[in-house]
Amino acid sequence: MSSMLLRGGRIVDPANPAAPQLRDLALHDGRVVEPIVGQRYDEEIDASGCVILAGGIDLHTHIGGGKVNLARMLMVEDHRSGADPIPLSVNPIELASCGSCAPGTLATGYRYVEMGYTAAFEPAMLSSNARHAHMEMGDVPVLDHGAYVMLGNDELFLQLLSEGGRLGRNFAQLRDYTAWTIASSKAMGVKVVNPGGISAFKFNQRKLDVDEPHVHWQVTPRQVLQTLACALHELGVAHPLHIHGSNLGVAGNIASTLDTIDALEGLSAHLTHVQFHAYGAEGPNKFSSAALQLAEAVNANPQISIDVGQIMFGQTVTASGDTMRQHANSGLANPRKWVGADIEGIAGCGVVPFRYREQSYVNALQWAIGLEIFLLVRNPWQVVLTTDHPNGAPFTSYPHLIRLLMDRSFRNEQLARLHPEVAANCALRSITRELTLEEIAVMTRAAPARLLGLRDRGQLGVGAAADIAVYREASDREAMFATPEYVFKDGRLVARAGKMVAVPVGGTHFVEPDFDRGIEKLLRRHWQAHGSIHFDHVAIGKDELCSCCNGGRLLPAACFPHAA
Amino acid sequence: MTPTASVAAAGTSPWICPFCPLACDDLEVQVGAPDLALALNRGSCPRASESLSRISRAPGFVNDGAHNDGLRCDIATAIAAATRVLAASRQPLFAGLGTDVAGARALYPLACALGAVCDCAGGDAFMQGVRALQDRGQFTTTLAEVRTRADLIVFIGGLPGSVAPLTPQRCGITESRAAQRHVVLLGPNPGDAVQLSECAAPGVSCESIALCGDLFDSVALLAALVAQQSVRDAPETLRTLAARLRAARYAVLIGTPPSLPPQGSLIIETVHAIVNQLNRDTRAAALWVGGGNGAATANQVFTWLSGLPLRSRAGPRGLEHEPLVYGAQSLLDDNAVDALLWVSSFDAGAASSAVAKTELPMVVLGPPALGAACRRPGAVFIPVATPGVGSAGHVFRTDGTVLMPLRALYEDRWPTVASVAQRILKALGAERRL
Repeated sequence: MSSMLLRGGRIVDPANPAAPQLRDLALHDGRVVEPIVGQRYDEEIDASGCVILAGGIDLHTHIGGGKVNLARMLMVEDHRSGADPIPLSVNPIELASCGSCAPGTLATGYRYVEMGYTAAFEPAMLSSNARHAHMEMGDVPVLDHGAYVMLGNDELFLQLLSEGGRLGRNFAQLRDYTAWTIASSKAMGVKVVNPGGISAFKFNQRKLDVDEPHVHWQVTPRQVLQTLACALHELGVAHPLHIHGSNLGVAGNIASTLDTIDALEGLSAHLTHVQFHAYGAEGPNKFSSAALQLAEAVNANPQISIDVGQIMFGQTVTASGDTMRQHANSGLANPRKWVGADIEGIAGCGVVPFRYREQSYVNALQWAIGLEIFLLVRNPWQVVLTTDHPNGAPFTSYPHLIRLLMDRSFRNEQLARLHPEVAANCALRSITRELTLEEIAVMTRAAPARLLGLRDRGQLGVGAAADIAVYREASDREAMFATPEYVFKDGRLVARAGKMVAVPVGGTHFVEPDFDRGIEKLLRRHWQAHGSIHFDHVAIGKDELCSCCNGGRLLPAACFPHAA
Repeated sequence: MTPTASVAAAGTSPWICPFCPLACDDLEVQVGAPDLALALNRGSCPRASESLSRISRAPGFVNDGAHNDGLRCDIATAIAAATRVLAASRQPLFAGLGTDVAGARALYPLACALGAVCDCAGGDAFMQGVRALQDRGQFTTTLAEVRTRADLIVFIGGLPGSVAPLTPQRCGITESRAAQRHVVLLGPNPGDAVQLSECAAPGVSCESIALCGDLFDSVALLAALVAQQSVRDAPETLRTLAARLRAARYAVLIGTPPSLPPQGSLIIETVHAIVNQLNRDTRAAALWVGGGNGAATANQVFTWLSGLPLRSRAGPRGLEHEPLVYGAQSLLDDNAVDALLWVSSFDAGAASSAVAKTELPMVVLGPPALGAACRRPGAVFIPVATPGVGSAGHVFRTDGTVLMPLRALYEDRWPTVASVAQRILKALGAERRL
């Protein structure tokens, strides 16, 4: 392996605030090391005039798995340019791959790396689709990856919850089942989507509030949330429960979102794409921003983290496990077509194409609400920068989003182009905050690493992995963040001035919580009675994971269990 | 030990069957000495039994091994010859694509390097579903949902038959479950009704409904009735079926794209229209049975890598997807391609017409039994292991959500499609650098 010195750059590393910004950064064998005066390095790079950050980490981006591939098949328009095909890359290192809102896995890797990202996490892996999800992630070049497995809509979980009653008498069973699901699907965490709601839709329920009983199992989303959050806490899984809340996209859903935080009773949790869950029902259009209420709740609950799910104007496709809400929104599909599925007694999916328009009151307000959330939450360590790719916008819009957050005059220029009622009345107009480079580094690197328990990523202290993005300082933050000068993955140069130069296979992050294997007896019976594959064929072993992930490194993360 | 990592010991082995899109995993295979045919030991499936009986493991029979220009050769010589055939082509066609995920992953970069058009065996039927999805979307379900929750199952155009013989079993029709179930054959094939009534469990009621016009007419009429449009002269049987669909808690409409007539995508779209109409007030979904012989697997893999489904190529103008123009058989018939790479690692029979008829320079990757069909000048044959028999692997099940792990029944002498494709790509790179 090689050694390297990045000389003269400005290192923005919020995880190590005591270190001086102006210093040299030395790398050896894929790790950050202490620079030694007089040491000879295999390569020295002049980074003067540049800002050096850890590689970007996207903790919520739909990059692989069944619904993503359905989105690709559905969005054939995304893979041509009008009547013409999309030209091939002139870079011989890139294999043919295209798409903006539904890119191929190869294009996904190339475009992320070109922006300085080095890890991405698929947030909605179905346990029945886990092999497929790992296969796709293994075919995303360069990026390390991992996935959160979906629970809380599978009939077994709801049945057990129902049997345990309000007092949760069988909590240990539910905790062990949660752990088994994580272990057998090789997940990095657990996501709950519209708690209980995907299942309820299968029983023809069309709406489910946080304290409303599931029509069949008679359990509430509150019980689902409490049980899962508590199980992950006891199992010591680093990433807390990843929550896609109830009533996504519904005017007035801020009440559900606040109820969700309340249901957690002080346990840690990550509320994802909160922009879609921060709507009031005020005003003449019965649709208003509840960003302030949400931000106040996040500010008052330091154990809660969020990612925003910012929308951008233009064509995209929404891909979600939330069949209930996607079915409800399918009438808004643009183009008019959509995909839905009920899946294996475990979950579901819905894929709805969407075109966000500047002149739409609702879309313009959604845009403003997302930015308001970014700017109203005080502690950047509680916020992760996402567009919920591709649901709010393709991930390639991150540099534009960063400029909106860092540059108030640019933001106000964009605001002036929107639906006049939104432009004139939204709170965003009066928000003067401009995020600093340090705050952007927190939201795009340091915070997601910390929230995922990745101790050696998202930071540049001695011993950290040498996942590094070197950006040339520029006042136009969009241009600056779109094309880093250098991107290193584990110390290896992978992109230079926006061009891929190497495509190593990324690694797979996952956790292996301990649990009582006695649970498998119950699971075996359940699979026999309700499943469609033999129980012995459900779990993914490490050797198999390796072949799914294209031979990339396996990166198991430690769990730190808490007493009950 | 994971299923894919292991090779089953001789004797009886639990088995995940790769030969139809249901990928059943409750069968067992008797693995005896190499000169004994493989046979099902537990479970009964005509397609699995027939496919197993075609597997020849014993070395030394007359058509065994690789050949080039009709002459036996070793694998390395065959790979070199295959590379020459493909390198000399100005527009190759990759067809068949009967392989697992690893094979498809390895074929994609080779297709990119050559600008090959890619289509699966049975591509006309397979693309009916893809085109319906591209145009209007779909709402589908999976085997476990059907098994546990469907109270009304309607087979559109009859049972899937040899495409997936155990479909009734996998849909729970043969189990006595608490929920009352009604099964309808709309336009059954001869023998379907008897087969269904013989296997249906107590508590499952079965009914056959004759078509009114052709299958499209009948489905379109049913769609109108489900939408409660006024339809004159509709037969009472279809009116009753529409009422049943509206009253069902979870209705599942099951169709078999490989059995649909030309323009079958219209039928698929209409079935989805029925499902969408029902989902306004109650719950329903469709299930499509097809995509076997690796077709669905290749389509999934090519789609995730490139963004585009099969019938695409990385051509001089860019990534082109032409669901009608890039049909393998029509390209061959029109002499629009000048070389063929045929991949068929599951079913030797799937290759018959395209491979036997074409006079183009040709490379065939298939089970040893396929060798005889392509022994001629200008043809290279490379025997490959069958995933789930001679090698481990992964294939997609018909409902698209479950990727089944396959394990080897024995250690095969022949390489996998993936390793052959990788070796050809490497040799191609070396040749181009010269």
